[in-house]
Amino acid sequence: MRPLDLKLFRDLAAMKGQMAAVAMVMACGLMVMIMERGLVVSLETSRDAYYQSNRLADLFCDLKRAPNSLRVRLSHIPGVAVAETRVKGSAVLDIPGMKQTAEGTLLSLPEDHPQHLNLLYLRVGRLPVAGNRGEVVVSDAFAEAHGFMPGDTIDATIYGARERLHIVGITLSPEYVYALPPGSIMPDNRRYGVFWMNERELAVALGLEGAFNNVVVDVAPGGDPTAVKADLDRILTPYGGLTTYDRTEQLSVKMVNDEIKGLRTMAVAFPLIFLSIAAFMTSAALSRLVHLQREQIAQLKAFGYSSRTIGWHYCKFALVVVIFAFLVGGALGMWFGSRMLMVYHPFFRFPVLDFYPDWPAFLLAVLASAATSFLGVLGAVRHAVTLPPAEAMRPEPPAAFRASLLERIGLQKLASTSFRMALRNLERKPWQALFTTLGLAMATAIPIVSVSMGDGMDYMMDFQWRLAQRQDVTLALIEPGSFSVINDMRGLPGVLNVEPFRAVAARLYSGHHKRRVAITGLPQNVLLSRVLDVHGKPVALPLSGLLLSKQLAKMLFVQPGDALRVEVLEGRRPVLHTTVSGTITDFAGVGAWMDIDRLHHLMRESRTVSGAHLTVDSAREDEFFAAVKDSPRIGSITTTRAARENYDKMMGRMMDISRAIFFFFSVVVAFGVIYNGARIALSERARDLATLRVIGFTQREVATVLIGELTLLTLLALLPGLYIGSELTSLILTSINTETMRIPVVLTGRAYATAVLIVLLSSALSFTVVSRHIVKLDLLGVLKARE
Amino acid sequence: MAENPLPLSHSSATSKSREPLFRARGVTRVYHTGEVEVRALNGVDLDLFEGELVVLLGASGSGKSTLLNILGGLDSLTDGTLTFRGKDLTSATERELTLYRRNTVGFIFQFYNLIPSLTSRENVALITDIAPDPMDPEEALDLLELGERMDHFPSQLSGGQQQRVAIARAIAKRPDVLLCDEPTGALDVKTGVMVLDAIDRVNRELGTLVVIITHNAVIADMADRVIFLSDGKITHIQENPVRRPVGELSW
Repeated sequence: MRPLDLKLFRDLAAMKGQMAAVAMVMACGLMVMIMERGLVVSLETSRDAYYQSNRLADLFCDLKRAPNSLRVRLSHIPGVAVAETRVKGSAVLDIPGMKQTAEGTLLSLPEDHPQHLNLLYLRVGRLPVAGNRGEVVVSDAFAEAHGFMPGDTIDATIYGARERLHIVGITLSPEYVYALPPGSIMPDNRRYGVFWMNERELAVALGLEGAFNNVVVDVAPGGDPTAVKADLDRILTPYGGLTTYDRTEQLSVKMVNDEIKGLRTMAVAFPLIFLSIAAFMTSAALSRLVHLQREQIAQLKAFGYSSRTIGWHYCKFALVVVIFAFLVGGALGMWFGSRMLMVYHPFFRFPVLDFYPDWPAFLLAVLASAATSFLGVLGAVRHAVTLPPAEAMRPEPPAAFRASLLERIGLQKLASTSFRMALRNLERKPWQALFTTLGLAMATAIPIVSVSMGDGMDYMMDFQWRLAQRQDVTLALIEPGSFSVINDMRGLPGVLNVEPFRAVAARLYSGHHKRRVAITGLPQNVLLSRVLDVHGKPVALPLSGLLLSKQLAKMLFVQPGDALRVEVLEGRRPVLHTTVSGTITDFAGVGAWMDIDRLHHLMRESRTVSGAHLTVDSAREDEFFAAVKDSPRIGSITTTRAARENYDKMMGRMMDISRAIFFFFSVVVAFGVIYNGARIALSERARDLATLRVIGFTQREVATVLIGELTLLTLLALLPGLYIGSELTSLILTSINTETMRIPVVLTGRAYATAVLIVLLSSALSFTVVSRHIVKLDLLGVLKARE
Repeated sequence: MAENPLPLSHSSATSKSREPLFRARGVTRVYHTGEVEVRALNGVDLDLFEGELVVLLGASGSGKSTLLNILGGLDSLTDGTLTFRGKDLTSATERELTLYRRNTVGFIFQFYNLIPSLTSRENVALITDIAPDPMDPEEALDLLELGERMDHFPSQLSGGQQQRVAIARAIAKRPDVLLCDEPTGALDVKTGVMVLDAIDRVNRELGTLVVIITHNAVIADMADRVIFLSDGKITHIQENPVRRPVGELSW
């Protein structure tokens, strides 16, 4: 090994703690980078491969009922490669051992030919055989949650009739990668499953013999999806067609894409923070090294080493750090990435979901880290090599100081001697102080983001379930029915309160912006399912005009008072010109609300209802559910408590992991920045501190002098850190929030206190470590040697 | 100054009649560097008295710095005993040694070792803040004729001025002993003489025991006693019947 490289490794060994601190911060950045980018690439790769191999449709449309003879017309639409018609319905499932019911979506499988689109990915068993009664394949998440295997049976109420379903296969579907129960914001694998069965049998069960109510279309290469959409809508509207939507609006596709979008944000934001802190730390540590070695550099130059060789020698220090960070960050990133994929498993069901590291992005990040570190090092080396060797070998004159700003403005009385030393040191090296403060501010900011996200979700759920959705159960009818149903519901055992609702599908237009949503009609002054303003106060339902989700108003670019055209997609399909009467606060999905009587009037129907929200006496719950299971008109049963429990279960693990990671990051950054700063300060002031020891300062007093300066920086960093954390939280939430779920920015004292505590404890820890070096100060060396 | 009437006579006769401040017996210090054993001090016996000005003279490696460090509570003995005012320093703990340095010893270094971020006054105040019975920093600095330079930072002072601030810092606590390690080593003759004069005055006016180590034989003339060290042993002790006034020194 060449002598300079030997020197490299021995010098590195001497400053291994400091180098490790820097490398760990860098490794955190690279870890997030490889983890999040890897998740993006993995999800994208799995998604694209899956959608392609299993031929996910390009366009989707639901309608009320159209005769099978219409199929030919649909497949002759210009630009259509394949049009497949299906029957789709829902079932209430009675699972043995479950007190409450589960809900199923039923989809038909063609009997005379294999599926053309949305091909099932059969995991176990087989597809139903044409003509065999009651055979179904079931979605694997649901089967997994209940331990169902082929051969098991489930009792279902389909369109009011009791049926026994025989499971013959367990499957995945590209349509249900993320299977969201209707009206829910989170998958619930125990309470929601998707079933596929023979078309004729399902059509009979749903009263749709010889007809279909769902179309999926594959657009031919070169075909114009917009034109195909328009043709489909034109043909299907007379048959109760709702608007055709493309893949990007398909619920499962949208959820997968939203998740990827969120990951993309994280994959940029966090690595950027960590890597810039690490770059600063590297350059500060190595500048100090170069400074300490100016005599050695002068000697090397005197021996005839070129400035370039010397410069490269010091760059290698940074290189070693980067390589170390690369290895640690890469390994941790891969490990956490594949762990995260396991966390994704309950949510996202792909045939294969393997972890693919995004090597190009990773290498880019490594190169960027190396380059920024080199810049810092080279700045210091250039200064050292430009000194003539003879001059560099002479000791430097005492550093020039002056009274700090605080003292110059006349506050010197306030400051103790060690505080003055700290202030003056900081003022002499403002950039170093600034970057250290920034690093610590970031360390403060990181836990705020994580705690606030949790708090935001808690707030959202609390708002949703304690303030807005106060019913115990929501019953939806198979199809809208007369008001007498409500009276029947009142008669169910244990029912305390019943509030009806009417929901209709509609398209809202404002200028060229349009959106398909459900308009929900509610009675005035309801107590259960309420629409609320941002403060959680009920908003009165307008007698004219529509209330919109704030998010919907944003998407339509409208404000209260603006005009809106509404096309109802059900019944007589009335068109209404109305205004936005106000916006309401909700956090999941988007919708529109109006007075139920106004809606009836608009629909020119008598008191039709789509379902009702209920409160049930908890003592009589069992009786209630038993009765509901047998009532033929009910299409779906949603219980608030179950939804809440499911949320806690599903999100709990995810939040725990991310909290642990963020906590770790924050500690690493705070500890690393302080430790590095303290080691540099210790090295710069070793002589001063040793002098103080010699003239009679105790170790503790000397430590106070050293730590004073960093404590000052830590305290200075807290406030900006809290601010940056708040801003970062809203920045990140804004960019990951989607139409389906919007986490509000909730900044609590708890988040701030956690952040402050983590940073102070990490600082204290690194002070403790550094204090051990004060014991080792070379007291005798001070008497003779000069830096 | 040399003409000043002496508050105390420092003849060896009077010194020896009193109890010594330091009593060293068989003081030995062995350093192990790797497999090499270096006997920096090898059985030194020495008494040092209140009010004396002693110069330790010797070549590099003769053991004079080691002896000074041991007297200052900065280094430990391998063998032998050392007492200060009858108290055993040999077995003192780290904390006791720190307190000993804080309350008893004043150090003056070759390179001054001022804290660059503190002014002259603040450098002195560092000590007066923690010592039990200190002078005012201003008083100490005035004694060294630095009244004009109180609010200057080290970088704004000449070498001689910096060393005088260092002396003010050392004496402000009213130490029992002032240990000076090559105090003029980094200074030119003229400035060096000024610094020695200051040390001499401290010795005469405050009655502080002063120990100066140097390899500059000229300085020996200002001492009461000159102790010659070689290879870790005292070769001989020379008593100067008359201390030569510092103003007459030159090298």
